[in-house]
Amino acid sequence: MQALLARRNIVAVGIIVFAILPTFANAYIVFVANLALMYILLSVGLNMLLGYAGQLAFPNAALFGVGAYTSGLLRLEFDLPYWITLPAGAAFATLIGLAIALPALRLRGLYLALATIAFAQAALWVFGHWNSVTYGGAGFRVPPMDFSPLPLDPSTGIYYLSLIIVLVAVPLGWNIVRSRIGRAWVALRESEVAAETLGIDLTLYKAYAYVISGLYAGTAGALFSALLGIVTPESFDLFQVIVHFCMVIVGGIGSLWGGVLGAVILVGLLEVLRTFRDLQEIAFGGLLLFTVLVVPGGAIAMIKRYLPGWNEPLRRIGKKR
Amino acid sequence: MKSRRHVLSTMSAALIASMCVVGAANAEVGVTDKEIKIGALGVLTGPNAKYGNTVYDGIETVYEEANKSGGIHGRQLVYVREDDRCQAAEAVGAAKKLIHQHKVFMIHGGACSNASLAAKPEIVATKVPWVITASTAPSLTDPVTPHIFTTMLAGWMESYAQVQYAVEKGMKRVAIISQHDNWGRSRYDPLMDAFKLHGIEPVANEEIVPDPADATAIALRIQAAKADAVILVAFPKAAVVAVRDMYKIGYKPFMIGGSTVGDVGLFTKNIGIPGSTDNLHAVSTIGYTADDPAVAKWKKLVEAKYSGDTFNIYHMFGIASGQFVVEALRRAGKDLTRDAFNKAASNLSVNTDVYGGPITCTPTNHQCHNTAAWFGLVNGTTKRLATTTVTR
Amino acid sequence: MLAYLLMSGIATGALYAMVAIGLVLVYRSTGHINFSHGELFMFGGFIAYTFFVILGVPYFLSLILAVIGGFVLGVLSDRAVYRPLIKAPPLTMVLATVGFSFFLKGIARYFWGSMEGGDYVAFPAAMDPSPIPIGSINVFPQQLLILAGAIVFVVGFTIFFRMTRAGKMMQATSENPTAAYLSGIRVERVYTLTWGAGSAIAAAAAVLMAPMTLLSPDVGFQLLLKAFAATVLGGLGSMPGAIVGGLLVGILESLGGGYIHSGVQDVSAFIVIIIVLVLRPAGLFGVRNIRDT
Repeated sequence: MQALLARRNIVAVGIIVFAILPTFANAYIVFVANLALMYILLSVGLNMLLGYAGQLAFPNAALFGVGAYTSGLLRLEFDLPYWITLPAGAAFATLIGLAIALPALRLRGLYLALATIAFAQAALWVFGHWNSVTYGGAGFRVPPMDFSPLPLDPSTGIYYLSLIIVLVAVPLGWNIVRSRIGRAWVALRESEVAAETLGIDLTLYKAYAYVISGLYAGTAGALFSALLGIVTPESFDLFQVIVHFCMVIVGGIGSLWGGVLGAVILVGLLEVLRTFRDLQEIAFGGLLLFTVLVVPGGAIAMIKRYLPGWNEPLRRIGKKR
Repeated sequence: MKSRRHVLSTMSAALIASMCVVGAANAEVGVTDKEIKIGALGVLTGPNAKYGNTVYDGIETVYEEANKSGGIHGRQLVYVREDDRCQAAEAVGAAKKLIHQHKVFMIHGGACSNASLAAKPEIVATKVPWVITASTAPSLTDPVTPHIFTTMLAGWMESYAQVQYAVEKGMKRVAIISQHDNWGRSRYDPLMDAFKLHGIEPVANEEIVPDPADATAIALRIQAAKADAVILVAFPKAAVVAVRDMYKIGYKPFMIGGSTVGDVGLFTKNIGIPGSTDNLHAVSTIGYTADDPAVAKWKKLVEAKYSGDTFNIYHMFGIASGQFVVEALRRAGKDLTRDAFNKAASNLSVNTDVYGGPITCTPTNHQCHNTAAWFGLVNGTTKRLATTTVTR
Repeated sequence: MLAYLLMSGIATGALYAMVAIGLVLVYRSTGHINFSHGELFMFGGFIAYTFFVILGVPYFLSLILAVIGGFVLGVLSDRAVYRPLIKAPPLTMVLATVGFSFFLKGIARYFWGSMEGGDYVAFPAAMDPSPIPIGSINVFPQQLLILAGAIVFVVGFTIFFRMTRAGKMMQATSENPTAAYLSGIRVERVYTLTWGAGSAIAAAAAVLMAPMTLLSPDVGFQLLLKAFAATVLGGLGSMPGAIVGGLLVGILESLGGGYIHSGVQDVSAFIVIIIVLVLRPAGLFGVRNIRDT
């Protein structure tokens, strides 16, 4: 029984379910699933920065926004097709991620957290005030994606595009965290001094973390703008940051598959929270507290206890106290 | 096995039977012999909830009144609310949930404009009738879509009305204090257009954040520009601070506010300084203040249904829109289809109990609310000064 | 114009300083930043509202009751959120306090959210709100009250820390918890006291600010960001730094809004944070913690 629930099988089932979903589910469910795919990207990227490299940084919502704005604006202003705008959005977000990395390298702990929160707010201000480029507070509409010559309508097209990107990005991420880069991240997370004595170039690997998570966030952002058809600044506010963090924590910090699980759980949760109407905030806060207090390792920790085959190398985040 | 076959055949019989029943009763999506399911899409929680949840409370009060007297052609109105949290992504999800999961007959709602704009493509693609209650983005109903209507003043209307008022009152140097968030921009851009239309330029153009602690800098800059009138495009949280600080520095221009401060008496109470708004007139979507005897009936009904709430202008948006929709549903007839509703609503004029003028839709104009009312303090109480129909 | 801008900046800055002090207090003692500090501030304001407006209790008594209420709330948050997580890595605390902030915000919105027909309530002035001319400028009596209140609280705190036993215990615990344990100090009790005190001073700030602006469940977040800017500018571990930082942030905002552009007021706090952290992370008075690996 336990072997049946091994990670390999669950993931395979998950992929199959996602692949055939549009054939039997209504448009609402497909939309939510598409959001989940996008959040998987974000969560995997963030987990690399936060969980593996241990950098307490909050820039991802801003990078998500940069990806969305760039790809949306390219589509709107220059009518470029999706196979140009998506990579362009991702690339630009990656660049900005690199730009943040440089000053962020010197900071750690709470200083880093505060600096990146300030950056996130400043980015939001730019989105909302740079009227000549970003259309300011009003936002803008993105013309629907054109998937010709494939016989796909925009929403199905975006769904399968997201699925394909996730199917590429997650194994890529898995390879990264198991490679030298991933090991270097864990080393510098546990102790920067010790890592340096081992000859690990802190600057290089920290920069990798920012750049790669920026890449994932930017790609997700580009998909987001295509999925919604509209880009507005409020979509990238601090609540987004909190949602991203929740995904990582609820799934299990420092665990790539935890990130995937967390994204799916959280998207489902946000939809379920709808039923609470007035009490959504209380429910959300309560749930967060519950996870942190009762299951600090996240869903992954619970699963690992009962099922084999879910182990990952280098998963546990170091204890600071 | 015998038992399994038995179960299987029972199930398939039940399935076929239910399909027949469903097929017979559901002539139109969301409509059965007993009820009409109407969906509400909008912000139910958070800082903007009054534009959504409170408005829907007003609508539901109207629906309840209709239900009490037998419903619409014998069908009870059922109202389902889905939250869009004033965010584009959530709005798309909420719209899809209402349309594909709840399978509503029509959507009656719409608060934050950017959220409504995000939901629009889905609603257009599925041809679900949509009566918008509080979103002000003109592109929602212009160009006209046969099944989308709005019972709210367009964003540009208040701005144009504000500039026109300043000009009519003979103001020569006009300044602006405006929020630049999503809501603010939907009024700010038309404001600048209106200035151009009248051939004048603002002498000062200040931005105020939605949640300021202090606006002294803004007040000083406007005073330095020697403006004789100030147009306010801000919610009470910001407007209170702005007026307060202008009063503090002893600057008393003529102030022109919007719907958000339409209840001038309440606004003055919020500022806490009697006399600070003697020179303030505000244009409002609504035709009466919340404690005007003309709307006492609705005040009583709303406060009874939602104990703990104070009747306010946001309820009144809902009441006006609710009355319009109820009448349109009635006119659509017993054989209720979406087409019938659209046709009825496209040729309808309803005098609501709370607006300053009728809600009138024509086949070529689905911007159905065009009458604004001006309010100011007269001897310490808020009085309606005038109504105006805004055109451009 | 300058005089007006400075006066407003100082009054607002005093508020930021009070909120920042509470934040720094908890940080110094426990090493954690309480992301629900803004909501503790907001809740204190609503507690005072309940007494002052709904129950008709006089303003100053409402202030004291709100401070007590804030203290109790702080103690509760220590028990519910901090104690169980005392050994957790910093990220967990961040998320726990963030979750708590949503929880508090939701509760506040539920109870007070629809009271006056909008999600905000108006807090009447404590006294006649007509501006008082001082020199060439007019000042609201409430602004003077804010300044006076801030001074009273800061002085009170300093006395508390330097003179009383409890204050000295708090200082000892923040220096070195292990040594404090060894010398018989009940460290958990001290933490509880710290959380309570931080929340109490935030509540006081809210009650002082409330008559000037409308009170809504969302005011906490903005104030928290400003308090961050203040503590970063002043130096994360430093109390005098928090005060100076708060005042400076208030003044910078005011001057920026007045002389540069009114849109700058909003973002200047974040620019301050970024510049300080990039150029001089320790801030003005900060203590460089060499013990971090």
